[in-house]
Parts: sequence; structure tokens; C-alpha cells
Amino acid sequence: MAAPAESSSFLGLGPGSRDPATVRRRSRGPRNRKKGWKRWAGPEARLGREIGDFLEDVVLQQRATGGLIAEQPDEGLFFVDTGNAEKDRQLNKGKEKPLHVDLVLQPDSKVPAPKNILAHQIPNGRKEKRRRQFWEKQAEKGVLPRAERRLRARLRRGGVPPEKAPEKGRSDPERGFYDIWAADNPLERALAGQDGWFLQQTKKQRVKRPARLRTKPSQVPAVEVIAAGGSYNPTFEDHQALLLQAHEVEVRKKRAEDKVEKQLKIPAGAELPTAETVFQEQCEGLLEESGDEEDGEQPAPPEDTPKTAPRREKKTEQQRRREKEARALATRRRREKAARCRRQELFRLRSLRLQVKRWEAELLRRRQARLAKRRAKDALPRRLGRLKYEDPSMEVQLSEELAESLRTLKPEGSVLRDRFKSLQKRNLIEPRERAKFKRRYRLKYVEKRAFREVTL
Amino acid sequence: AVTRRLCILKGIYPHEPKHKKKVNKGSTAARTFYLLKDIKFLLHEPIVNKFREYKVFVRKLRKAYGKSEWSTVDRLKDNKPSYKLDHIVKERYPTFVDALRDLDDALSMCFLFSTFPRTGKCHVQTIQLCRRLAVEFLNYVIASRSLRKVFLSIKGIYYQAEVLGQPVTWITPYTFAHDHPTDVDYRVMATFTEFYTTLLGFVNFRLYHSLNLLYPPKIDGQADVELKPAEGKDYAMDSESYLEKLSALSASLARVVAPTHEDEVEMDEFPVEGETAEQMDTRKKEQEALEKHKKLFEGLRFFLNREVPREPLAFVIRSFGGQVSWDKSLCIGATYDVSDPSITHQIVDRPRVEQQVVGRYYLQPQWVFDSVNAKLCLPVADYFPGVLLPPHLSPFVTEQEGDYVPPEKLKLLAMQRGENPDEESEEEDGEEEEEDDDNEKEEEEEEDESEKEEEMKLKKMEEQKTQSDKALPVKVTAGKLRLEDRQRLEQEQQSEEKRLAIMMMKKREKYLYKKIMFGKKRKVREANKLAAKRKAHDTALKEEKKKSKKARRA
Repeated sequence: MAAPAESSSFLGLGPGSRDPATVRRRSRGPRNRKKGWKRWAGPEARLGREIGDFLEDVVLQQRATGGLIAEQPDEGLFFVDTGNAEKDRQLNKGKEKPLHVDLVLQPDSKVPAPKNILAHQIPNGRKEKRRRQFWEKQAEKGVLPRAERRLRARLRRGGVPPEKAPEKGRSDPERGFYDIWAADNPLERALAGQDGWFLQQTKKQRVKRPARLRTKPSQVPAVEVIAAGGSYNPTFEDHQALLLQAHEVEVRKKRAEDKVEKQLKIPAGAELPTAETVFQEQCEGLLEESGDEEDGEQPAPPEDTPKTAPRREKKTEQQRRREKEARALATRRRREKAARCRRQELFRLRSLRLQVKRWEAELLRRRQARLAKRRAKDALPRRLGRLKYEDPSMEVQLSEELAESLRTLKPEGSVLRDRFKSLQKRNLIEPRERAKFKRRYRLKYVEKRAFREVTL
Repeated sequence: AVTRRLCILKGIYPHEPKHKKKVNKGSTAARTFYLLKDIKFLLHEPIVNKFREYKVFVRKLRKAYGKSEWSTVDRLKDNKPSYKLDHIVKERYPTFVDALRDLDDALSMCFLFSTFPRTGKCHVQTIQLCRRLAVEFLNYVIASRSLRKVFLSIKGIYYQAEVLGQPVTWITPYTFAHDHPTDVDYRVMATFTEFYTTLLGFVNFRLYHSLNLLYPPKIDGQADVELKPAEGKDYAMDSESYLEKLSALSASLARVVAPTHEDEVEMDEFPVEGETAEQMDTRKKEQEALEKHKKLFEGLRFFLNREVPREPLAFVIRSFGGQVSWDKSLCIGATYDVSDPSITHQIVDRPRVEQQVVGRYYLQPQWVFDSVNAKLCLPVADYFPGVLLPPHLSPFVTEQEGDYVPPEKLKLLAMQRGENPDEESEEEDGEEEEEDDDNEKEEEEEEDESEKEEEMKLKKMEEQKTQSDKALPVKVTAGKLRLEDRQRLEQEQQSEEKRLAIMMMKKREKYLYKKIMFGKKRKVREANKLAAKRKAHDTALKEEKKKSKKARRA
């Protein structure tokens, strides 16, 4: 065996050796294979295990007896036992044997538990002490802390203060009202007399309502009285007029339906397609007949060569000069013509004026048409959302349903729906429909076994 | 949903852009647009914070419920965040007159909500508040005698009152049980009602103070009421009995200051600049007519039978000065009994009434409403129980010249002018000619100046000449003859001149003129058609009546 280095410990670690805690062996594959078990066989491993055992033994001795057993005095380790109880007691008088019950309950480690310093530490201990001393001095002078003062005041007051009535909400049936349009009203009392600029900057005063919002969105009156034919006991003519209106609405609806049906109808003289005709249509142009073959044998003769563009020869000076002159002449002529036309227009002033007048009249007419369209659109309900406004169905009672007396009257229509539609008509809200329930998946219908057996 | 509520409360409405493609960034999908400046203005509203607090409150409450922490639930509920809409009302209606202009919608909504059943669908508190405000408003109208028109339609009852110079129209549904339509968004309606109840409350306060009445309203003669608490116990709980008594509309309200007798001093008349004497006269006449109209039922005592709708009738009768009572079992507040001898009119709706008391008129309820619309007490013979009622005309319809005027309306106008109504009544012999003559004469007098009636008049004159053998019930005095001659002469001269002018027109102009007249006379032709139809209908009715009479005799 190689002699260990002088400065190293019995573990064989030299100055150049690495810290065994940080040494990392190159991992060679998974460790739970047979190869990995060979590690436990080596001398270092054995040494390590021996050291571990030794240390555990030392610790056990410390726990059991408070030190290495070899260093303990004899009296701590042994009791004299002569077999005679009295003699034992005499001999072991000094050494009082504790009760087994107590022994069992004692901590069996002679290593004392570490002292918990945190348990003895009071955070801000010194500060609190100083504070306590301060308040004691104040109490001598007669000044008490706030909490004490409040408690004593409460005692003097004599119990729970009476509960003030809860503020009435906006829909409380017993709520009170005041004159909101008077010069002095509770809303503005707090702000009265203060500077306007100050109030505005500190956001105590409300922002002014823009003038745009003062106009109503529609000129339709809020409550539209029903036509005279809607009376519970109408005159004959008024009732007929109302029935006529309702009739026209129905006729219009029926006409729209008929139109759609007519478009979908199969025309009278047409023949329905049969399977044969369908097959024939599908085969159009696919099969080659005898007539096609003949034509196919006389294709157009292929062209010999692609046509070559004729080579241009360079233009001569003469040609260039001539072209230039021609161009100059053309421009001159055009300019002169334009100038001449302009000069001659002077004589056409009257007809020109007429033309301009006509054009302006046309523009005016267009503008007025646009304005008239805008005004007509104002009278109708605006398109505010996805759905268009639909007029409510007319409330009208047929001649048989007319009541003979107020007692037998059966009301028609609903004021709630009428008000709702009126709000939509006046552009206050947009027309909405009830949200439909949409399934994300298609519903499967399964027949029960018992039902499947039933045959009609 | 919260933004929608806020927009409705603040009065911000969706905007329809002129160039939808520009605003929608190229697509034409129909969406709802609001002006950006409006939304920025909306964000200054202090209620927005209250909505946020409410959201937080709901979240905490739900958690506490989920964890079954009931003490926390109670504590949270006690400190529920609430807000008031007073400042919004002041902002939207800076003056009282603005608020009066928007009163139509508010009234209709409040009356509608007060008829809702008290299930949990809408907050019961809202319904109670609406009922209280509606009753207060009705009491104001009664005290100020502002009701002008009533119309019973198949949908509901339309009222029109004149409040401080502004005509206010509203509709009240009939008090029958109706199932609620499902295509109406209740949350939107509830939001509108929230705002309208606040508005109506403030308006009521102001109106009551304009009449010098106490607000919240107190019934006059409170001491009497307190002496008989036992009466109230039969009808309602103590907490509700006050509102019930008020809603009975039969008691008068207490005033802030006792009225002195200075009311009978005549007001000074200040002539308005720019008015001629004629206009002042007409104005005076109108005012006198209005005063007479307000006192229509003064001195009359009514009794309502059990089958008759109590609230509308009580309201209308009391608004015109009458006294009304009903059966004790119906409602609280009945002042006198059926057997009271001083009752002048009793409203019944049964086919036959046994045990009729002498000195009392038994009428169908339509008499009250028709009298109000006609501004005078109509002859009662048409409204006896079991009689076929005359039609209930709409007071909201104003006929223009040339439109068809039904004969019932003509009779009414004649009565208003003070002509003897007996001439218009049906008689067995020679009915038709008399009716035709009377109708024609009325038409003549009404449509004197219209040139469209030229041809009709000529025809009538010819008919009258042919019927000269029948006795015409025309009472002609010397003075009247002269007037008629002068009028007729003038008219003839005018028509002559007109015919000359027409003859002298050029062909093209005449063609245009004929076209225009054709268009104008369309109305007249339609009126004639309707008259012919009406005649046919009347003859049919008469034949049926004759047949039934014969059957009864046989």
C-alpha cells in the first residue's frame, strides 16, 4: 500500500485533492444497472461506510450517556446490585434511581436540545419598553391614550347610540321629493356661492350637458292615439276605414308570399327532367361521333416559321426633319384652333349662359332632392342596429268581436308592447330580439329498445 | 347591459351615421353606434362609480352566500350601495316646462307599471312607487280640473289634460288580467321606469305646490278619518290604508294655506298688444266655454254600480265637479249608499235594471265619457240601460273641410251650437227626407265658403225644388229671408264669375285646371261613397228593427 502523505489525514486526502463533497463522477449510464452496483465494492466505499458506522456509534453513545462511554466514570454507568434489596438501597442511596415510568417519559438523548433564542427575543423590545414608560409618565400627568378616552366617553354616553333611519333608495315607495327647480335646492346648496372656476377645477361641479343632447331624436309624439275606428264602440265608417287598413296590410303580406311561391313554381309547359335526359345532358360533348373525325383530319397546316419582325432601317435626316415639321405643324394648328374657339366663344356668351344656368338648376334640383330624401328619412324610424324596425300589428276588432257594452269589452293588444315599440320608433332604443338558444353540438335522437319493437 | 342602462338614464341615444362604411371601417354590417363625445360625457357621471361598487358588492355577496357566511351576508346587505337620479333629472330638464313636455311618456309608463302583478318579475318596490305617483297625479288633475278629453279604445283609455298650458296625453290599460308578452325587454322598461318615476315625483311636488296643496298629499278633514279606524281595517292594512283612501279619488286634499274668499274677485283684463276687438272677444268666449266645461258635473251626484269600472269613472266625474260614490264592498272611501235619495245619476251596465228609483237617471257609462268629450250633458235617452248606444267618437280626431263627417258628429256639433236636438231625432214617418234635408242644411251651413261644394249645392237645390210638395220644416222669418237672399246672390255672382273665368282660359290651362279639380274632388267623392254606404247600412238596420218590431207585435 502506498504510504499516505504526511500532511493528509487518515482519509488519504492531499492538498491537491478535490473536496469530496463536490466531486462528481462522470455518469456512465443509468445507475440501477448491475454495473452501478460495483461501486460498493471499492476500498473508498468501504472506508466511507466504516467512517459512517463509527460516527453513528459515537453519536449513539452521546445520546445514551452524554459522552463516549469510554470516558464516562464508573458511577454513571453502573449500579451495584448485590441481590439484596435493602443492601442495594443502602449502597445506592446517593444514587437515586428514578421511576421507570419517569425514565420512559424522559428524552432518551443526553444531548441537550438547542436553546430557542427566538423564544426569548421580543421584536422592538426596547422600543416597547420605552413606550410603556412614556405612557406611564403621561398617565401620572393625566393624559390618556385615545382608545382609553373613547372607551370612557362611550361609557359616559350610556350604551348604543340610536340607529339613524337608512337612506331611502331611488325606488323606495316612501321616498320623499323636493322642489328641484327652485333657486335653492338641496342639490346645489353645497355649491352655492363658491367660485365657478374653483368648482370646475376641483371637479365639484358637474360637467355641462352638450347642446346636441337637448334635441329629441324624433318628432313623433310620445303617445300616438289610435285611429277613431279603434274606439270600443266605433262609428261604422271609422271601423270600416280601420278594417280597410288592416286588410291592406294583410293583402301586402299575402302578395309577398305569393310572389315567392310563384318564383319557385315550375312553369306550366315545362317537362320535368327524367333520368334519361339528365344522363344525356351529362354526356354532352364527351362522346366522339363520326362527323368529328372527318374534321379532325384536316387540321390547319402548321405554320412554317414564326414571322420575323421586319428589320427597320435607320431613319434618315430628311425623315426626321419631316416628322419634326409635321409635329410642329400639328401642335401649332391645335393651339390656333383652341385660341380661335375661345375667341369665338365670346360670341356664344348667351348660349353659354343658358348652359351654365341649366347646369346650376340641375345641381339645385339634385340638392333639393337630397334634402327632401333626408327629411323623409327623418320621419321614419332610424336604422340603429342589426334588426329593422317593424311596425306592431294593428289592433283592430272584427265586426263580430265588437263589444256591446263596456262590461263585455275584451281588450285588444297590450299597452306594454305598444310602449316598447313606441320607444323603438322614436329612436330611443334599437330594436332587439330575444337571444336564441344555440346548441354547440347536434342533438342525437336514440330510440329506446322497447319502442323499437313497436310496429304500427 | 350596464352601458345600456347608463345611456338610457342619461338620455344618450344611438346615432345613425351618415356614411356607415366609413365609420364601420369598410364593412356594412349593421351595428349600433354611439357618438364618441356622448360616451366621454357619460363617463363624467358620478353614477358610474356607484355601478362599479354595486358590481363589487354583488361579487362579495355571492361569495358569502357560497361560503354560507350568514353574518357577512347580513352585514353586506345592510350596506348595499344605492344611488339617486335627482341630478340627472335636473340636468336633462333644466326648467319645469321642459319636464312637462316629456310628461306623456313618463305618465304612460307609470300607469302601465302600476297595473303589473306583484310577482317577482320586476321589483315590487317599483310597482308600489308607480302606483303612489299615479294616484297623486290623478288627485292633482281632479283638484285642478285639468282633464279635457277621454277616449275609450280597445287598447286602453286615453286621457288628455292641460297642465299649466301644456297638453299632456297618456294611456291607461284596462284593469283586466293579461298575460305579459315575452318579446318585450323588461330590463329596459324597468330602467326607463326608474328614471320616469323620479321625474314624475318631482313634477308632482311642483304641481301640488302650484295649487297650494300639501305634498305628500293629505286628505282634508283628517280628524274624521282618525275617529273611524275600524272602517279602514276591513279593506287594507294600516300601512296601506292611507294610499288606498287616496286612490279612491273620492276625498278632497288638504291645502297648505286655508283658501280665503278672495277667489271671487274678477281678474283685471289687460288687452294684449296687436289684438283686435274680435280676437279678444273670441278669446273671452273660449275662456267662458272652458269655465263652463270645467263645471260640467257640478251639483250632480253619481252612484256607480258594481259592474262598472270604478277608477276611470270616479276620476272623470270628480274632475268635472261631480260627487261620486259606490258600493261599500267594492272599495274604501264610499261616501254615500245606494239608497241615498239625493243621487241624481246611477251608472249601470246591465241589460235590465229592476227596481228603478224615481228621480234618478239610470245610464250606461258611455254617457259620462261622451258628455266630457262633447263639453255638455248629453240627452240621457240614448244611454238608458238596454238601449243600443250611439258610437263613441274619438275627441282626438279633428276633421278638415271636405272630409267625411259622420252624422253622429254632425248631431253633436249641432247640439253644441244650441240647436234643438228634437229635430234630429228619428221619427217614424217621413224620416228619410227629413234627415236628408237636415243633413243637407247642416252641410250647407258648414261648407258655405268652400267652392268644392258648388255642384253638390246645385244638386240639392234641384232636389229641394222637386220635393216642394212635402212640408219642409223650415221656419222662415222675414229677417232670415233677406240674409239668405243676400248670401245666395253673392254666391251666385261668385259662381258666375268663376264660370266666366274658366271659359276664358286657354286650352292648356283649362286642362291643368281640370286635372287639379279632379284631384281635389277625390275627397268629396270618397265622402259621398261613405255616405252611400252609411245609408245602406242604416236602411238595413231599420229594416231589421221593423222586422223585429213586427215579430214582437205578432
